[in-house]
Order: sequence, then C-alpha cells, then structure tokens
Amino acid sequence: MREPFTYPNSRKEFMRAAKVIPSGVYGHLGPAEGCFIPVEAFPQFSSRAQGSYFWDIDGHRYIDYMCAYGPNILGYNDPDVEEAAAKQREKGDVVTSPSTVMIDFAELLVDTVASANWAFFAKNGNDVTTLAVMTARAYTHRKKIVFFKGYYHGISAWTQKIDCSGILEEDVVNNIYLDWNNWEEIERTFEENRGEIAAVIAQPYMHGNFVDNELPADGYWKKLRKKCSDTGTVLIVDDVRAGFRLDLAGSDHYFGFEADMICFCKALANGYNVSALCGKDFLKNTVSSMSYTGSYWLSAVPFAAGIACIEKMKRLDCPKLLINKGTRLKKELIKAATDYGFDLHVSGIPSLFYLRIANDNNLMLHQEWIAECVRRGVFFTNHHNHFINAALTDADIDETVDIAREAFSIVRNRHPEN
Amino acid sequence: MKFLKKIPKLKKGSVMKMTSTTDERTLAYINMYAILGGLTALCDIATEAGAILGRASCSIGFAVKDGPHATLNFVGGRCRLTDGTDESDILLRFPSCDKFNKMINGEYTPVPVRGLTKVSFLLGKFKKLTDLLEAYLRQTSDKLLDDGFMRQSTLIMFRVIVAAVAQIGNYDKIGSFSASNIVDGVIKFEIIGCAKAALAVEGHRLTLLDRVPKNITSYMSFADIKSARDIFDGNINAVTAVGEGTVRMGGIISQIDNINKIMSRVELYLK
Repeated sequence: MREPFTYPNSRKEFMRAAKVIPSGVYGHLGPAEGCFIPVEAFPQFSSRAQGSYFWDIDGHRYIDYMCAYGPNILGYNDPDVEEAAAKQREKGDVVTSPSTVMIDFAELLVDTVASANWAFFAKNGNDVTTLAVMTARAYTHRKKIVFFKGYYHGISAWTQKIDCSGILEEDVVNNIYLDWNNWEEIERTFEENRGEIAAVIAQPYMHGNFVDNELPADGYWKKLRKKCSDTGTVLIVDDVRAGFRLDLAGSDHYFGFEADMICFCKALANGYNVSALCGKDFLKNTVSSMSYTGSYWLSAVPFAAGIACIEKMKRLDCPKLLINKGTRLKKELIKAATDYGFDLHVSGIPSLFYLRIANDNNLMLHQEWIAECVRRGVFFTNHHNHFINAALTDADIDETVDIAREAFSIVRNRHPEN
Repeated sequence: MKFLKKIPKLKKGSVMKMTSTTDERTLAYINMYAILGGLTALCDIATEAGAILGRASCSIGFAVKDGPHATLNFVGGRCRLTDGTDESDILLRFPSCDKFNKMINGEYTPVPVRGLTKVSFLLGKFKKLTDLLEAYLRQTSDKLLDDGFMRQSTLIMFRVIVAAVAQIGNYDKIGSFSASNIVDGVIKFEIIGCAKAALAVEGHRLTLLDRVPKNITSYMSFADIKSARDIFDGNINAVTAVGEGTVRMGGIISQIDNINKIMSRVELYLK
C-alpha cells in the first residue's frame, strides 16, 4: 500500500492566494469548480511538469489525466514544440507587424482541417466560439442560437444561462437549449423558429460534466447538417475540447460531416496560448468585416509552437495513438473495478474518456475512489472528461491501474455493502 | 397589528449576484414558509420563545389570494407550520400577495375573519414572538458579540435560508430555471455538530423536509457555526470557503451548483 499524499504547502499557498485573488484559485483549476472532494485530497499548485507528469509543491508526482484540461497533447515540454517556440522567441513574438509565421500556421490548418478554407486566430476557446456566433448572426441576420444541454462553449455572456452570476435575461433571450440526440426536438424547434435560427453550435459529442458522455446517434450529425443547410442555418462545431484527439482533420470529419465553422484551442499548440476559428469560404467576407481583435492575438511564438505541434501530431498519427492508449486504460480500469465489485462506466471517445462509478445513486463512491487515486499519484478529476497525451507510456498505464486497484480496495473495505 | 418590521437585510457578497428581478408572489411564499416558518426554529432554539408561549395553544391561518395558504400551530411551547387554513383558530385573509408582504413589513394590518375571541394571542404572544424572531435575524445587533446569541441567531437564519431556497426554486422565474436543472433527490445542508436541514427535489419541485433522511444525493456542510455565520453575513465567499475546506460539498454536485444559484437570490428577497 502506498502512503497517501498530504499537501501542507498547497494548503498554505491557497490561504495566501485567497487573500489577494478572488476565491484563491478561480475557474476550472480551482477547488470549487474542479470538484476537489474532499479538498484535502487534491494538490492546489504545481511546481513543474514534464511529459505525462506534473509535480505539486509538496513534491508529489502525478500521472496527469487532465493534461491542463486539454492543452497538453504531446506531453508537457515537448522538445520539438519547445524548440520551435524558442527559435521564434529569438526572432520576435508580440511585434507591431505580425510575423509571416501566422500565414504558415493558417495554411497548415487549412491543409489539415477538412472543412477549413481559412483560419482566424485568437487566444482562448471562448474568443473563437464567440466570433463564430457573431459571424453566424452577421451572415444570416438572425438572432437565435441552438445549444445542446450539457454544453460548454466558454464564459462570455451569450454562453451562460439566465441563472448565472452577472447574466442578464437579455444576454440569453435568444438561446434555445435542446437535448442532445433528440431529433424530434430539432425538427420541432426549426419548425417553430422558421427563419429565425442563426446557428446551431455543438461539441462533436455530448461531453458535458456530471453525466456519462454520449456519442451522436447513428445519422444524427448528417441529418443535422442537412437541416442547417436546408434552412440557411450556420453549423458551428466547438472542437475546443475534443479537437485533435479524435481526428486531425477535425472532429466533424471523424463523424462524417462538415461544419461551416469549427473552433479549436486547447491541443492546438501543446499549451501555447492560441485558438483558431476555421471556416468555409462563404463566411470569409463576413469575418473580414468584423471588428474583432486582441492585444496578444497575433503573437508569433504560439503560431510557431502550433505548427510544430500539428506537424508532430501528424507524424505520430496522434488521434489513433491516443485512442489506443485510452482504450487500453479503459479496459484495464473496468477490469480492476469489476474485480472489486464496482460498476465503472467509462464513456466517450477513449482519448477523452469520462469516468463514473455507478454502484450508488449519489456519486459518493466515485468521489471517494477519485480522491484515493489522486492521493496516490494519479490525477483524475471527479466530474469532467479526462485527456490522454502522447507521452503517456505503457508503464504509466500500468502504474495507473495499480493505483486504481489500490484505491478500489480501500473504498471497498470502507463500503463492503455497496 | 404589526407582526414583523422589515426583515433584516442579508449582506451582499456571500454568494454571487444574478438577475435582480423579484416578484411579490415568490416573496409571499418566502414570507410564509421561511420568515413566519422561522418561528418554528425560534421556538425550538430560543428558550425565550418557550417562556413567551407558556402553555398557550393557538393556531393562526394565513390565506393569501393567489399565494400561500398555511397555518402556524402553537402548542406545548413549540410551533409547527402546516399547509392549508381550514383548521386554524384564527384566520387572516389577504386580498393579494402584496398585502401579505406588507403585513410582514409592518405596513398592513389584516382583520381576522375567524377567531376574534383569540385575538389576544395574536396581539400578545404572537407579536412578542415575531419581535423576538426579528431580533435574532438582525445582523447588526450588538448581541451578536455574545457567542450564545450568535449561535442561536445563526441556527434560526440557517433554517430561514434553506426554507427560502425551496420557495425561490418553486416560484421565482430564475430560481425555477435553476430548479429545472436539478435532478430528483435529497440535498442535505449541515452546520457540523449544530444543525441539519434537507430539501427534497422531485420533478424539479423543492420541499423542505422535517428531518434529514439517511439516504441523500448531495450535501453542503459548514465546518462550524462561525463559518456558517461568516458566509451568511457575506464576510467570507462560499467559493473561497470550499477551497479553504470550511464549506464542503459532495454527491451530485450539479444539485449543489443549482442550489447555490437559487441561494444567491435569497438576499434579493430578504432585503
């Protein structure tokens, strides 16, 4: 049995942070949104990262299945990406005139992403999902946007719901929320809002939090693509989270259809801060006419990193590699769970898997198991999909399964009845 | 008759703010089930309440047009709230939610339509109880420096807030949206070692339970009475407190997320 980790330095630093930073660590990396249950089971700050590992400030090493919530796709500090970034940094990064490396990156994306005729760069996923929705509205002169429940498209007001802090009813009045995979609802909604829907925005499959991930039903995407085409509605795929973990040509390509616009961020440059909106020709003039920019959006280093990242992902056939690693992990985790009498659900595409122990009706066994894994060096999180990276080795997977087994045994001993 | 002056304002900042629209109907349900309902906690917690009630036994029904119909039953030094007004000794009828809310604020005086012979209870013991409740819920009171008073005040406030959450989730437009995203189950609230409360959710409708069942689907707990008070008063932010470990949550976290959104609207109504 491994000695469970404790985190005195993390606790100390969190208290320091809470004095000067709202909520200490905000957003998805923080203990509240990150569902650190209990908070004592999780590290709150890292000291360094390499490959598929990160180390916390108490000196513990983790096999990291969150990958910074997606950006780490090749492994932290990938040498090829770092070399390309360093070379560009020597030449210049944030400069009055942009570098032509921006054009190189756009050309590479257009060559790589099946549905792309152009690429527009920003910094975060939210920047490009917002641009996509604005573009759809500008192009169609319509207001309404169709979402699928369980979505996450960023943090701008239009992405949030009426009951979120700081959101006005007016911000979301044109949002229509539908259930994923419910084709009747799609038909009814388009009929009831004829000529009013500017766009449908969707992740390639339902990988929302708190519930098992759900792949598209047979023919669902093709029917939705046709419905959008028939009604003059723009189809936006938010590939920020799943992008390049399913298919380098885009997750729309993976599911056999073409989006009108597709949003990338996270894995685009292995952690360098750049996002991209790619789209079809008919929308290019609309995007060209929009006033939309940011102080750091044309910085050159992330473009160079992105080029190196995509080229390496191509060389590795990265999605296939990640899906294979994820598939092996999935099988072995399920076997380990079964050996201890746990019904572990592993849903979604294996390179982007979601975990849930289904023995109880309240997820508390699951939360206990996750906590015991983290305390022993496997960084899973409770209610978010996980990410595989290319640096993850077979030995890492073996170690993960060993730790998972130990965690299962601890929870089983605690709850022999479940 | 003046039962309650304006209920003391809850400080802002304990939870995040949202759309500020409120409505009289939701407020009437809060005033019935959380504020007047708070008398149940007062009688359970504050020894002075028992002294006021003595051996008196009386029930007061509140019938609000297009709003709540419920009865406060005082017997054996305790108070219980039941739905409906058919059996009440005294019946107060209100032509609108607005008028009922004005009564709570001490700006409207209803005339009993039943139980005139018991009006002395209404004007005497009941009035004293509502004054006492108001004192316990007042956040600026010097008495809060007294640990015992602060504890009792916080426990009563805890019950008022949880009860208000149920009404906001059921009647407020935005609260109902949050409730529409809560799956069925039981959510437990606890001040460790001091108090527990639970809300049942069924078909997106919230009900305050008399006791906490063994099987719950999620929980939110405060480490101690001071942590709870600091959050209620807005001295500590709930999200920060999760990081610090003074607030804990578990189970179906989406239930807690949505309850927190509803909870953030309590201050809009109880200002």
